[in-house]
Amino acid sequence: MLSIASSELIQIFRNRLVLITSLIIPVVVSAYFVRQHDTFAGLGSLGYIAAIILFTITAFGLYTTAVTTLASRRQNLFLKRLRSTAATDTTILAGLLLPVVVLAGVQVTAILTALAVVASAPANIALLVVATTATLAMMIALALATAGLTNSPEHAQVTTLPVSLGVISVASWVGITGTENLAALKRLLPGGAATELTMNAWNGGVAVTDSLLLLAPTLGWVVVAVALATRLFRWEPRR
Amino acid sequence: MSTTPVIEVEQLNLTYGDFHAVKDLSFEVRPGELYALLGTNGAGKTSTLEVVEGHRRPTSGAVRVFGHSPDNRRAVRPRMGVMLQESGFSPDLTVRESVGLIGRLTGRTDDVDRVLDLVDLSSRARRKVAQLSGGEKRRLDFATAVYGTPELIFLDEPTTGLDIQSRDAVWTSVDRLRENGATIVLTTHYLEEAQQRADRIGLMHQGTLHREGTVTELTRTLPAVIRFTIPAPAPAPALPLQAAVDVDGKVVIETFELQKDLHLLLGWAQDHAMDLRDLAAGPTRLDDVFRAINN
Repeated sequence: MLSIASSELIQIFRNRLVLITSLIIPVVVSAYFVRQHDTFAGLGSLGYIAAIILFTITAFGLYTTAVTTLASRRQNLFLKRLRSTAATDTTILAGLLLPVVVLAGVQVTAILTALAVVASAPANIALLVVATTATLAMMIALALATAGLTNSPEHAQVTTLPVSLGVISVASWVGITGTENLAALKRLLPGGAATELTMNAWNGGVAVTDSLLLLAPTLGWVVVAVALATRLFRWEPRR
Repeated sequence: MSTTPVIEVEQLNLTYGDFHAVKDLSFEVRPGELYALLGTNGAGKTSTLEVVEGHRRPTSGAVRVFGHSPDNRRAVRPRMGVMLQESGFSPDLTVRESVGLIGRLTGRTDDVDRVLDLVDLSSRARRKVAQLSGGEKRRLDFATAVYGTPELIFLDEPTTGLDIQSRDAVWTSVDRLRENGATIVLTTHYLEEAQQRADRIGLMHQGTLHREGTVTELTRTLPAVIRFTIPAPAPAPALPLQAAVDVDGKVVIETFELQKDLHLLLGWAQDHAMDLRDLAAGPTRLDDVFRAINN
């Protein structure tokens, strides 16, 4: 797995387009939120900023990059090549996705640390880690499912839009309006419960047991996405 | 050497939707042999190979490689090398990185430099795959297939797009692997390669094994051919053999006893002071077996 992962990392860093969309853009956008944290905290809360950063990075840095990468490796038959070795399918996918997951994890950690330094520290760091991990898991599972519907890296520019823009919209909606109204709907939408969990972790004031219940919808999306991925994922281009 | 087949295919069927690509196909490949799976376009060879290689599940039937299901990658893959028909390398990795990565993942060990040297790609080691020519990509593919000297090697059109030197180099490497006991499964459109090298040939047509056997077994069912041209205006004495003669004086004689009939013909030409222009005689070629498929 590590040999696939390290070759994947080399490929990411050699491909300028991927590097820009997966690393530079999310970091620039997130840096803007951190710099303007007073404005956005007024709109929602610091927890809202944390959530929007989390989803900006996981939607573009992780989700979109993962879908594009998988579609591209399939299109040039690299997936088929990997499958002609002794590596199992799980090892291959884990190896291919590990670098983008780690890169996204590092970005989220670095930027949230910056937010904590310039503004104020989160109330419950452990809960924030849980929220981040669950979100990474949901986005990578959605990426696997979306990759099944994506024919080429170019096609990924279209197929990734509903989920990437969707989760960011949901995060903004939940982050700005809270969950006093339409709580069930907001929590069931992908990213809704994760946003609330992130806000609770950062802002505090909610019992941890209540917060942990919010993990259920996110993990539910993981299950749904993995189930879809097992039906939709293809290793070779259509012919 | 063990006589247990390396590959066993029994009653294999493969369908894509309505299309029945492979029908009740059975064959086996024995240790140390070079088995050529040949066929017309769309005959089902690639589909068959993909099932045997473990890239595709059969619709029905049994396939065993070294006694295991091809799905059992841990058991099967370290013992086999695969040269795919289409390259499938990442354009952003270098030649050395590609061989190193795929080689390591096969579970075999080898020296990347040795393998690159074997396919004459040492000078391209630091180049990205995107910069390679078509022939160089085929050699890269061959390099990953022979990495770690596997017991079984699949060569799917190995020499397509290669110049004659590279083609010879590939076959020299294959010969060396065979001296060490490797089993080879070959598909190719260059029939003379199969004719020269295959121990046995499976000839596929419309999803079934149309014929199977050694080159001699396949060709001896068809006659050998003698061709020559007789000078047009001269009223030639009657030919000693059954022949087809066209208006330009081109003669074609089909025979199952080439040596005897050729001797007879040459004697006749000598006696009549005939000049047999463009005389050519040869055994039946695999091409002719192919052409006869549809008849």
